[in-house]
Amino acid sequence: MKKKVLSILLAGCMSMGILAGCSTTTVEEAGEATPAEPAADTAAAETTSESSTETLAGEGDQTIHVFLYMQEHEKEIYQQLIDEFVEEHKDQVKEVVFEVTTQDEYNQKMIANMTAGDMPDVFYVGPAAVRSYVDNGYILPLDDYVDDATISSIWGTTQEIYRYDGTNVGQGSLYAFPKDLSCFAFAYNQDLFDEAGLEYPDPNKPYTYAEFEEVCKALTKDKDGDGEIDQWGVACADQWGMTPFLYSNGVKFLNDDMTKVNVANNPQLTEALTFYTDLTKNGLTPSVEQDTALGGYQRWLDGQVAFYACGTWDVAAFMDDATFPYKWNLCGWPVGPSGDGRSHTWMGSVGYCVSATTEYPDLCAELVSKLSTDADGQRAVSGISTGASIQLPNITELAYGEFKDAVNSGKVPYASNVDVIFGYFDGNDNYAAALQETDYTYNSEWFTPFWSGVFNIKNGDISVEDYLKQVEPEMQQLLDEAIELQNSATKNG
Amino acid sequence: MAKTKVKVHRSAMAKREERWAWLFIAPPFVGFMLFMAYPIVFALIASTSKWTGMNSLWGNIVGLGNYIKIFGDYKFWRSMGTTIIYMIGIPIGMILGILIAMGLNRKIPGKRVLTTMYYVPVVSSLVAVSILWAWVFNYDYGLLNGIYKALTGMHGPNWLGDEQMVKISMIIFMVWKGLGGTVILYLAGLQNIPRDYYEAAMIDGANGWKKFTNITLPLLSPVTFYVLITSLIGGFQVFVEVQVMTPNGGPNYSSATVVFYLYEKAFTNGQLGYGSAVAVILATIIFIITAINFWGQDKWVKTID
Repeated sequence: MKKKVLSILLAGCMSMGILAGCSTTTVEEAGEATPAEPAADTAAAETTSESSTETLAGEGDQTIHVFLYMQEHEKEIYQQLIDEFVEEHKDQVKEVVFEVTTQDEYNQKMIANMTAGDMPDVFYVGPAAVRSYVDNGYILPLDDYVDDATISSIWGTTQEIYRYDGTNVGQGSLYAFPKDLSCFAFAYNQDLFDEAGLEYPDPNKPYTYAEFEEVCKALTKDKDGDGEIDQWGVACADQWGMTPFLYSNGVKFLNDDMTKVNVANNPQLTEALTFYTDLTKNGLTPSVEQDTALGGYQRWLDGQVAFYACGTWDVAAFMDDATFPYKWNLCGWPVGPSGDGRSHTWMGSVGYCVSATTEYPDLCAELVSKLSTDADGQRAVSGISTGASIQLPNITELAYGEFKDAVNSGKVPYASNVDVIFGYFDGNDNYAAALQETDYTYNSEWFTPFWSGVFNIKNGDISVEDYLKQVEPEMQQLLDEAIELQNSATKNG
Repeated sequence: MAKTKVKVHRSAMAKREERWAWLFIAPPFVGFMLFMAYPIVFALIASTSKWTGMNSLWGNIVGLGNYIKIFGDYKFWRSMGTTIIYMIGIPIGMILGILIAMGLNRKIPGKRVLTTMYYVPVVSSLVAVSILWAWVFNYDYGLLNGIYKALTGMHGPNWLGDEQMVKISMIIFMVWKGLGGTVILYLAGLQNIPRDYYEAAMIDGANGWKKFTNITLPLLSPVTFYVLITSLIGGFQVFVEVQVMTPNGGPNYSSATVVFYLYEKAFTNGQLGYGSAVAVILATIIFIITAINFWGQDKWVKTID
């Protein structure tokens, strides 16, 4: 009998391992809207390998703890800004603790900080997380601390996405200043256009669906004559590169208050998804199987596809001859017949916010505004003064002025059609962009069934109509759960 | 079994020794309480809540709501099914393990080299070899399909991109990865079997097969038992290779395991309460299966004594 009892105990210990193991680590998205995730799929961004903490001392008595994630070369630039800040406020500041880590570790540490109630003074918030951070009382509104001129100097989009009035995001108090603004633009390989004797896409007039299909046909070919296609018009990753096609046909997945999925009876979506999946069915993109072997990004770098998505964070890699030995430029995503006639894509951003528990809100707000909008800092990160562009300037005047001049003069290596990106940022007759709908919901789980199953349409296993009917209930159920979780945060702040 | 109670008069020295004993017991005990007992209790509580890591856990207790939801959650069942299918690799690994161990248990040249070769996958980083095998399995550029094409002139299967093939690919990988460990254990088991048993059997006129089934297998049963239990527990916890080779859980979620699902729920979608409930269910299943194994071992596990 004793042995049996011992057996059960042993069995218990062995199986407990999983429970203990699963609850000790906790990660959660900081809610950034998101260059971070596609970057893993595309250019593996070089981030700091270990966390590092610098302490900068002044003569005052106020200590600020700044906790961020960023890449190694960015860190140097921001380090300098913080040094300057300490110097400018040395009668107030005792020290600024500048802690930088990797994005993964950042999320874990933030959850730990939140659970322990020990928040840094300055940290990141993404547009997606503004609502829950405010509802749970983590961050401060910044309007009172920063002057209007500074606020109005940044992109209109970034003035909006960090506002929240307790009900709606996009209006009310400003809760963060942008670290950056990015978007998912489209790019073409000029060399392949030259080979095919085609005219380059017009940056002031994005293709229509029909025109795009024609161009792709002309660019899809069997170059070495072995009977197999080895150059395609375009390649797209369903998770990130499909939605711009759909948005450009006026598609919205959710209703206005983001509570209902609208997929099954959505003629614009049916039309756009048919166009998108037909590109693969008609052989203008690599097949589903070929895509599992080598992703679109690799094929683009290898010169096998003529069009590919280009996030603003990709530009530096594409400008590097060793990574991408082709001439290329930016263009707009093709425009569908049932949209507003403009080319649409999605944007991303992450912002600096100030902890609600900080002892020195004034000082923190000043620091945040400096990190975000200091002219020299922005000249450095955008490449105007350094020659290497990490991001676009947050200040519009700088973007349209010095930055564009530097691009035109070749001082900053950048695609000359940078106006395409500015068009998406600011919106004009040809271009428009918004955050992804998943950025406004508690998590993006409801969208996963949609994109992850689209390959079944491309394979011919299911029709677009049947697919949309089939996927809607699951999306709705997951959206309901996300809303429930969102509300649970609001109620128990 | 009768016990008599004796009143013990402890000397000062005994008492001092006892204090020292407690001191020695303390570190593992504290460690257990801190890193096992506390997280387990926490997970149990969290599993009854809609905790997201950011909201308050206590304010969002929903009782058995998560568990009820899991029963109707097709992704949970699909990933559970896949996890169990992957366990086909356990008997395959054991049979191969015994065969290779018996081969290595003879005096053959290069024995050490071979043993090392079988063991290398075990000590290699799981992430690294998973990345490597993702390339071996690659549809267009992979080693396997390269060989297949050279031999047959046709394009090989889509190892990681097909709903059925991806399961077979994972089983192949897991058998490869675990084989070395099994071989070493069986080899040690084989070397513990006294020679005279075989000599006695030979005198009695037993043939090779009889010796194998009546001596080798029974006397290896403690090793088999150990391998079975650890593989079953490990089998329920498969995660890394799935995450690395098929980051989205494979086509139509065909390669995802329970732990992969748990991770996705808890850490990608911020449903830490729901994820904890999945973990509790998984731990319960592992507990039951391990308990059954221990209860049943009397029937088939033999020792030399």
